Amino acid sequence: MSFRFLTVFVGLYLMGNAAAAPLDVVATNPSLGALVRAVAGERLEPTILAGPERDLHQLQAKPSMMRALRDADLVVAIGAELEIGWLPAAIAGAANPAIQPGRDGYFEAAAQVELLDVGGPADRALGDVHPVGNPHVDLDPVRMARIAAALAERLAQLDPAGAEIYRNGADVFAQAVEQRVADWRARLAGAPGVLLYHRDAIYLLDRFDVPLLGTIESTPGVQPSGQDLLELTTKLKGRVGVVIHTPYQSPQAPTKLARDLGWSVVRLPLAPPLEADGAGYLHHIERWVDAIAAARP
Amino acid sequence: MRPSILAAGLATALTAPAAAVQAADEAEIAELRSMLEQMRRQYERRIQDLEDRLARAERQSERTSASVAPAAPDPAISQPMRAPSVAASAPAAGIEPAAAPRLPDFRGALSSGMAFNPQISVILNGNYYNDGIDGSGAALIGQALQPSGGLAHDHDHAHDSGHGHSHGELNNGFNFSEAELSFTATVDPYFDAAAYLAVMDEGDVHLEEAWLQTRSLPHGLRVKAGKFLSDFGYANKQHPHAWDFVDQNLAYLNLLGDHGLQDTGVQLTWLPELPVYTLLGFEALQGDQELFGATLGAEDQERLGLDATEDGPRLWTLFAKVAPDLGLDHALQVGVSYARNTQHQEVHAHSHDGEDAVHENALAGEADLWGVDLVYKYDGSGPHGQGDFKFQTEYLRSSKDLDIQSSPHPEIIGSRRTFTTDGFYAQAIYGFAPRWTAGVRYDVLGLTNEVSGDAHLDYGSSDRWSLNLTWKLSEFSQLRAQYARNDILMAANERERFDAFYLQFLMSLGSHGAHAF
Repeated sequence: MSFRFLTVFVGLYLMGNAAAAPLDVVATNPSLGALVRAVAGERLEPTILAGPERDLHQLQAKPSMMRALRDADLVVAIGAELEIGWLPAAIAGAANPAIQPGRDGYFEAAAQVELLDVGGPADRALGDVHPVGNPHVDLDPVRMARIAAALAERLAQLDPAGAEIYRNGADVFAQAVEQRVADWRARLAGAPGVLLYHRDAIYLLDRFDVPLLGTIESTPGVQPSGQDLLELTTKLKGRVGVVIHTPYQSPQAPTKLARDLGWSVVRLPLAPPLEADGAGYLHHIERWVDAIAAARP
Repeated sequence: MRPSILAAGLATALTAPAAAVQAADEAEIAELRSMLEQMRRQYERRIQDLEDRLARAERQSERTSASVAPAAPDPAISQPMRAPSVAASAPAAGIEPAAAPRLPDFRGALSSGMAFNPQISVILNGNYYNDGIDGSGAALIGQALQPSGGLAHDHDHAHDSGHGHSHGELNNGFNFSEAELSFTATVDPYFDAAAYLAVMDEGDVHLEEAWLQTRSLPHGLRVKAGKFLSDFGYANKQHPHAWDFVDQNLAYLNLLGDHGLQDTGVQLTWLPELPVYTLLGFEALQGDQELFGATLGAEDQERLGLDATEDGPRLWTLFAKVAPDLGLDHALQVGVSYARNTQHQEVHAHSHDGEDAVHENALAGEADLWGVDLVYKYDGSGPHGQGDFKFQTEYLRSSKDLDIQSSPHPEIIGSRRTFTTDGFYAQAIYGFAPRWTAGVRYDVLGLTNEVSGDAHLDYGSSDRWSLNLTWKLSEFSQLRAQYARNDILMAANERERFDAFYLQFLMSLGSHGAHAF
């Protein structure tokens, strides 16, 4: 009985090793998972710690994350304090020196590009503010192409045998982005604008010069009051736009505002599906572009 | 030339062309104005948009001028980005603080932020408490009758060993439980360290934890040393602010005391490379405990003929935690823990009918503790914790193997007594609305009460039902209301049944901490 159990155990263990890729890469969200696949192709298969419908800022550290990080050679995070509530605890619990911040095994996407919303007062009266900058860089395809290039260099450093694959993957992804961006720019030219729940899609809006008409929460991380919603309605009455919120943001306020303004409301995740690759990521951006472009007078 | 002529000349020179232009353009301006009016009427929305864009462009140029401040990121940089790095790099680049980019709807006082190292946070924990028995209930729940310790046991000895404060000490009315100060930092590439201080309402400061932990040992090994909360069980290492209820459960309160297994020593944990999360741990601790492996003060030891407190370490623990991977939305962890304290002393006092003298039997020996815990969490994916569910349960079984060392009745000296008591709690928390959770807990002490292995004492157990409601206004503040129905055994055939009501606030000031599972 116990022998059989042991055999199964050892079998599982060996299976785990048999499929061993040259690097064990863990990504915190599906956007970064897609980026790893875009850069590394078949060579690497990332483990993703959170689904697209999760708020990366609210997640809790779990033993399964520590298990995944235990053997990781590289952890790819969004960074800029987005995962601050759980990733440091998960990395500490994983007892893996290779992926500690400061080592080659720790990669933050937000540290590779310039950020928006940098600075500002570190005053919690303004809500859950992060003066280091807005971390949601993964919705800007152009920044993601730059992050891909940096990621390719990091992967090449950790796995020199695959260097060519990684660099080539990043180039191909950058070209794909470049191709689409021109089209997206044309489609979004003169778009009337978007009302967001939280400043979580500003990188996309900023990239295509789409006006941000406002945010439903007046203070980051704090529930909007009825007064806030009334003020927003008064301010935006008679204008054209679209309300976009993520699956983890309460739909009541967005729905009510959209009804009062006569706009449509769209529920879109910030990240593509778990299994997305580079093309899947671009398709995800396409969904956002569709939603924004549809809101024309 | 006289100044007046100069002035007149200048004035003429300036106004003459202007007047000429004015006359010529009057019609044109009127036309422009009407066109503008027309445009305003026809394209008011468009203009608004253009204004928006202009504002955006201005903001952007402000930003780009300021974003020179955080030096262009090195593409290979692998440091985590933290707030202090901005504050530190801005002055270095010579940018005036006034030029710092602001949030679009800036409403606060400008502050530079501070490059804190270590990360500091303060958690304020206060409450309003009321029970139906003049406020004595909060102490009673930690003094339920059990075969060992509970029988006229000398509770004051706890004060001798430095645990002079109590997290459970509440009066009817307003109470300030504690302000918990925490300092955490990475010391260098080899160590992380943390210190937790509790400041009580009278101003006493107590060191709750102060430890170092390795961060670069290979093979999944980590060593922790200093004063810390043991990883025995699940609830043991949680600070009061992390509890899902205002107070600790009956099993921990009565078997381990207010602070649980909080001791000084070393811990070794190993996370082997297995397909399933498995954490194995071992601790060697000094053994200065309130209840589990307590020793008397030197004076009492001499008076009662007990041995002096032995050299440490006297408290040893072993624990294992296993967590199968149930996908992204579920988490389950099962743990087994064992602890042994090699020295335990206690005094049992009794008096005989018709006599005034109090007889004291002094007992000494060893204490063992078993624990089994299970935690299940479901991530409901709703906004702000809506739909989240957490179930947590633990069973603790304490047995003390003691010999009577001294007694007014010489015939029993040297005879052996074993005492076994167990305790259990189960609690569930559900996020029924964004930012709101409801909780229910049942905790019980003394499902088993045994003396010397054969005598099952039939006086029964102490138990309690608790219900609570927690409102998390933001990540940094929460308010909680809790009701408890207590049925506490005071002595054989003497029970205290009472209701207790709590209103609690928890405020988290400072850095944004991360909680372990």
